[in-house]
Amino acid sequence: MTRQLELNVALLATLVVFVLGIAILGFGRDIGYVLHGWIIAGTAGWGAMYLINRLSDPAPSIPLEYKDDVIKWGVLACFVWGVFGFTIGDVLAWQLTIPAFNGDMSWSNFGRIRPMHTTAVIFGFGGNALIATSFYVVQRTSRARLASETAPWLVLIGFNLFVLLAVTGYPMGITQSKEYAEPEWYADLILLVAWVGYLWLYMATLARRAEPHIYVANWYYLGFIVVIAMLHVVNNLAVPVSIAYPKSYPLFAGVQDAMTQWWYGHNAVGFLLTAGFLGMMYYFLPKAAGRPIYSYRMSILGFWGITFLYLWAGSHHLHYTALPDWVQYLGMSMSIILLVPSWGSVFNGLLTLNGAWDKVRTDPAIRFMMVAILFYGLATFEGSFLAIRPVNTLSHYTDWTVGHVHAGALGWVAFITFGAMYKMVPWIWKREGTYSLRLEAWHFWLALSGTLIYVGAMWNSGITQSLMWQTYQPSGAFTYGFIDTVDAMRPYYTARAIGGLLYLIGALIGAYNIYMTVNGPRVTSQDADARPLARPAE
Amino acid sequence: MKPERDEISGQETTGHEWNGIKELNTPMPKAFHIWLWLSIAVSVLLWILYPSFPFIKSYAGGILGYSSRIAVTDDVAAGRAQRSEAFAPFETMSVDELAADPGLRDAYEDEIAVLYRDNCSACHGRNATGQTGFPNLTDDQWLWSGTPEEIEYTLQVGINSTHNDTRIAEMPAIGKDQWLEKGEIADVIDHVLLLSRQDHDPDAAARGAALFADNCASCHGDDGMGGLENGAPNLTDATWIYGGDRQSLHDTVNNGRAGVMPHWSDRLTEAEIRKLTLYIWWAGQDDGDS
Repeated sequence: MTRQLELNVALLATLVVFVLGIAILGFGRDIGYVLHGWIIAGTAGWGAMYLINRLSDPAPSIPLEYKDDVIKWGVLACFVWGVFGFTIGDVLAWQLTIPAFNGDMSWSNFGRIRPMHTTAVIFGFGGNALIATSFYVVQRTSRARLASETAPWLVLIGFNLFVLLAVTGYPMGITQSKEYAEPEWYADLILLVAWVGYLWLYMATLARRAEPHIYVANWYYLGFIVVIAMLHVVNNLAVPVSIAYPKSYPLFAGVQDAMTQWWYGHNAVGFLLTAGFLGMMYYFLPKAAGRPIYSYRMSILGFWGITFLYLWAGSHHLHYTALPDWVQYLGMSMSIILLVPSWGSVFNGLLTLNGAWDKVRTDPAIRFMMVAILFYGLATFEGSFLAIRPVNTLSHYTDWTVGHVHAGALGWVAFITFGAMYKMVPWIWKREGTYSLRLEAWHFWLALSGTLIYVGAMWNSGITQSLMWQTYQPSGAFTYGFIDTVDAMRPYYTARAIGGLLYLIGALIGAYNIYMTVNGPRVTSQDADARPLARPAE
Repeated sequence: MKPERDEISGQETTGHEWNGIKELNTPMPKAFHIWLWLSIAVSVLLWILYPSFPFIKSYAGGILGYSSRIAVTDDVAAGRAQRSEAFAPFETMSVDELAADPGLRDAYEDEIAVLYRDNCSACHGRNATGQTGFPNLTDDQWLWSGTPEEIEYTLQVGINSTHNDTRIAEMPAIGKDQWLEKGEIADVIDHVLLLSRQDHDPDAAARGAALFADNCASCHGDDGMGGLENGAPNLTDATWIYGGDRQSLHDTVNNGRAGVMPHWSDRLTEAEIRKLTLYIWWAGQDDGDS
């Protein structure tokens, strides 16, 4: 695309979003909704003005360098949303221990701030980590600069606008009540615009590559971008009630809606929280360890196995419901096979460390990544195990599910992110290394103890809960009332809240360490790899 | 680039390199091949045994003929049969007959307790002693009579519920709907404080007596003792649902009350309602251990 065409397309997209914002703030009746209109119109209006100014500028000469400025903002967004999301998460954990901790206000009760936590950590922390590292990885492994000067900003700002609208909407009651897809139609449309831009940018950059082959990490990042686009569109098909209100109704109803929702929900786990972060692992682990990937063939098994199988498995979230049996059994059987490619990635990651295991001891970032892979192995085993119907009778609707999710989210997603960030931040800011290895190690041990306490507490409470629910008197009457199981959970909930607090303190130390690294002195030398390969004029 | 041999593992690389990252061409371990094919075999077996792939109008049913719907229907029926056998007296006898049998309490009270805790305790408390807005079920004060028969009827149809035959009891919003002036309401409240033998202003209470007779007595009775026909509470005792101090009384008289007790006839079986009736009635008996 020529620069002129690219600017015009970006301007058109920005103006469409701007008009949406103006319509919302003009016609909107609810205060929160009108506020969102102002945020949308302000952001898009500013973007449109910026683009109009660029239209009349002479085309700047693009340096033969990687485009890293946008990545730096992505890292900042990742840590800001991360600390925010972890804090809300621990507040929720304390609310479950001490219910009065919600302050007896509507906007701060569990139901409204729980999606703030999930959205902030999954999309704010995880999403920004993926966008930032994917921009980094695709450039290095393609030896090419990002294919556009404007699109990366459109993607990053558009995505964060979506997260901001989502997180500020929930306490004011703006939600379509679909787990992990809570934002209403207008926020979904903005994400769609940003995501189409992301997909185009990623493919256009790969098309410019100077390397003959596309590296594995890019398969995963691209898989994540394509599938999230598909999931997001289908699960958010909805009819808005009117422009005056945020409310909309989904296109599907009843069990079809539930199935669509869990097809979405499970593959958000599969492609955002798994495939995307595997892409991160496939670049940062071999790069940091200085070792080749253990097996190209295992990479192929892992990638295509996961890509094929995950999309069938969503129905295991709806075992023993109104969902037809055949959908449940298909989902269960595919979940059983799914463990093989999942552990293929685990072995491929761990065995890549062969010849560099000493670095696990000396380099906390590699330790983060190594433990992340172990938790990935644990969580995927658990996932396939819980997807088996009879096992699901024990685990479903209990805290075991919560523990399982957090083994994956705290132990895998966040650990691999921290490991990658401790490597990538010094590389893009041209620093010698992180500010303090000691603080990195503190972060690691706090995060590990926090995760183990959390997951251990939830295993105990989940199984206790389930066994209490299933205990009958000889007469056939229940032995325990529901309220008795709530009482029994209390010590575990307290432990979980403490585990979460340790994790949060670790993340704060990590954020401080990253800040001090960025603040530190630059290195003077530049290694040869740090530039794209020169290419003939386009 | 040509494949090269990695010294540590002894494996050849694929010959590709991306920014310094290479890949070994290590074959997939044999265990993975076996495990993959084993998992696929288990899945195929599941597809044969259980419902699996969809067709145009139906689906592969599986040779076991399994159906969740049939399995759960059978389980529910079996559970129901087990319980009706274990709680046989509650299936056939009326609540009056059940109340008359002194042996039943020891035999069944603990078994019924969970039914009470799961359905009633959220409002009435685990010990059935109630809380603000929800009456105590263990004392002698009743809005609709405390005989087993009347308790059972309340459980069936509820109070201000969505049942067609619901019991209805509403305290009107005397202040909000402007039945009485502000000063008059203060006088009525002083009269109620007098009736319940609390601190009051005698002059105001005297003025309130006539207002009470005109506006309140039709439900609460001339003497304020209430009645069991219309759910109007006795105002002369120390038992209050929404509080008996001046401020609470003001809130009640000004804004009205229409507390809801849901009807349980759609949710619980007749036998279960009889069990709860007896459980509540037993709780109000003096010889109880609770």
